[in-house]
Amino acid sequence: MHSEQRIRAGLFYLSIFIFFAGLPFILSFSLGYKFDPRTFKFTKTGLIFIKTQPMGASVYMNRKLLNDKTPLTIRELLPGSYYLSVELEKYFPWRGEVHVEAGKVTRLERIILFPLLSDVMHLNKEKISSFWVDEKKGKIYYINEAEKLVYISNLEGDNFEEIGTIPSAIQGEKKYTLSPDREKMLCFGPSHMAVLYLKKEERGNSFILEYSGPKIINAFWYSDNYHIILVTDKDIEVREAAKYSLPVILVKLNKENTQSYYDENRDTIYFIDSQKASDNRSYDNVYKLELGSKFFQFQDLIKRKSIEKTEQN
Amino acid sequence: MTPGAISWGIIAFLVLMAVFHPVACAVIIIIFDFYWIIRTAYLTTLLVMAHHRLARERNDDWQEKCVGLLPKKDWSKLYHLIIFPVYKEGLDVLRPSLKALLDCSYPKERLIVVMAFEERNPKSQEIAFALEKEFKKPFFGYISTFHPDGIPGESRTKGANATWAAKRSKEFVNAKGIKDENVIISCFDADTCVEKDYFGCLTYHFLIQKNPHQASYQPMPVYNNNIWYAPSLARLVEISSSFSQLIESMRLEKFVTFSSHSMSFKTLVDIGYWPVDMISDDSVIYWKAFLFYKGHYRVVPLYITVSMDVAYSSTFFKTISVQYKQKRRWAWGVENFPFVVMGFLNDNKIPIFTKVRRSFHLLEAHVTWAVWAIILALIGPLPVLFGGALFNQMAIGYNLPKITGLLLNFTLITSLIWIILSRTILPPRPKDVSWRKNFVMTLEWFIVPFIIIILGSTPAIDAQTRMMLGKYMEFNPTEKGKNVLR
Repeated sequence: MHSEQRIRAGLFYLSIFIFFAGLPFILSFSLGYKFDPRTFKFTKTGLIFIKTQPMGASVYMNRKLLNDKTPLTIRELLPGSYYLSVELEKYFPWRGEVHVEAGKVTRLERIILFPLLSDVMHLNKEKISSFWVDEKKGKIYYINEAEKLVYISNLEGDNFEEIGTIPSAIQGEKKYTLSPDREKMLCFGPSHMAVLYLKKEERGNSFILEYSGPKIINAFWYSDNYHIILVTDKDIEVREAAKYSLPVILVKLNKENTQSYYDENRDTIYFIDSQKASDNRSYDNVYKLELGSKFFQFQDLIKRKSIEKTEQN
Repeated sequence: MTPGAISWGIIAFLVLMAVFHPVACAVIIIIFDFYWIIRTAYLTTLLVMAHHRLARERNDDWQEKCVGLLPKKDWSKLYHLIIFPVYKEGLDVLRPSLKALLDCSYPKERLIVVMAFEERNPKSQEIAFALEKEFKKPFFGYISTFHPDGIPGESRTKGANATWAAKRSKEFVNAKGIKDENVIISCFDADTCVEKDYFGCLTYHFLIQKNPHQASYQPMPVYNNNIWYAPSLARLVEISSSFSQLIESMRLEKFVTFSSHSMSFKTLVDIGYWPVDMISDDSVIYWKAFLFYKGHYRVVPLYITVSMDVAYSSTFFKTISVQYKQKRRWAWGVENFPFVVMGFLNDNKIPIFTKVRRSFHLLEAHVTWAVWAIILALIGPLPVLFGGALFNQMAIGYNLPKITGLLLNFTLITSLIWIILSRTILPPRPKDVSWRKNFVMTLEWFIVPFIIIILGSTPAIDAQTRMMLGKYMEFNPTEKGKNVLR
């Protein structure tokens, strides 16, 4: 019992000693002071915290390599400026001059090391002239204007294959838009349109729409994958994606439309147009036309018009 | 009022400092963190020492040792009076406790068992009758007492019941011609199951003391009765309580009686029995004796275990509630502080140094209990939250979370030691419990930080606040046994 109590007393006093001996060092460390054993003085220092993306980069301070890799904290720095270089193989280095203040931490937390060019991947396997990325489906579409071909691949460039041919009758400047189900592509210019079927077994169904309407500015697929919303210099109209189809004019425009946006999820078109105000002057406004709930109305209209046209013929 | 005011004062001070002077607050927190790391290391070392002693003395033949003291010290003239204050506990709880007495290796003709019932419990008579029928015969004496309700000056506390039973026992003992000084009284919680050598160990330590009547004898409480069946949260809390008691057993100058313990019957009579209006009867009896003997009173640790039930209930939240209330009742031991201070003020024989030291220990223990978890878990992050951009640019703002993290890592290391030690005090796994439970009982230690937040300081600050506001608590015994699992 006595020996236990003696050991306990010893431990108790040892704990007190460690506490009081360690406390100045813990506090000075916390407050950013550095103890100089030669002079027995505490000097107030600062620190730098470096975090990189990706991690594990080497850090050179005033051209001297530090032992630790990022993320790291460089402590006990006397106030002043330091030249830092952060390097990682296959990445561009980051370099900069950092100012350290006494008792403060300089945080370099947003260093992004960008990969070297050796990481650039060549994706297309054939000649191409333009492309666009379908983020939703994770695909890339490529157009070869010279040979009138359309290709597809995944985002890594794999599974590269030809999926369609652009009708040679379509000449001049062209734009492309994919149907929501990604089975059809609309290729259009100011005065022509063609629907390309992308599924292998349906490619022969591709056709050029008979179009003699106003100048096409923009075109969008309606969510049923069958109707096309056209924005022309005169109006906004809807048509069936069929060789012979008649338009239903949804909105007559007062000026040539310059900007429009189609929200595929809500079947809503946003467009710009001018309107005369009470002061007799025209002002540009942004309008929104919801087609989702009203579609059945113009669907009927399109049908009726098509029947009339057939009867006339 | 003092402990509660100090605890709240510390919390309020640190919160205000965090808001208005985050740097100073961070410095205080870092000092506290460092203090806590060293304290944890120190206390864990004491735990290892106490545990080592417990393991070492486990196989001692205490009765053989008592015989070895003859003829100078005659153990055979001593009687053991064992009081079990009972309130709502049923036969499922009381039977194992009495069965453990029957299984003791100590001669039963030296044991007097007192089942102290509360008259206000309508089932008392029925239970008493059943137990008497089953257990009366082997013992030298077996008494059932029924503490009347509403005696003037009494509260509904365990101490009032125990005192009533002790007075009836004195009549019995003296009627048998046994002197008070030849009786050692053990006041056990109703679910206490003693080890078979308990009374041998107690007798030996009583006999070898220089002044055996000026000491209480404290066994090490463990909660093994139902530990394999208890939910993790309750099990961890109770294991921590056992460890805390083991640690305290090494700090003799602070050691105070807790829960089930033993003492001289003569001393109990001399000091006027347990207080009849205080909840923390187990610790206040020590202070009564300490004041009576003018500071010449101590607690002798007995490195033998007494096993009790883990308090738990049918659902997680009910278990938290049960544990919370039990811890709050223990924390209500803060009522000892004004009792002790008043006792010291009315005394002129205890050295002033002793008075100051013991008062400080008592105050420090309760205040630390009430604030430590709050400081570590809740106030620790405040300087970073309130400090703003300027504070976070400073070295201390950067280092504060790192040092707090270091504390957490260090606590994990000590937890490993606690896990290993906890395995060694477990009873054998019952056959109906899967072996997989071994893994659960190891991995459950990772929920300790969560338990600390809920049950670390809040019961203590709750108890102190109630005392500060004069909202005195009633004695609510922790419900144990199968009937709580509704």
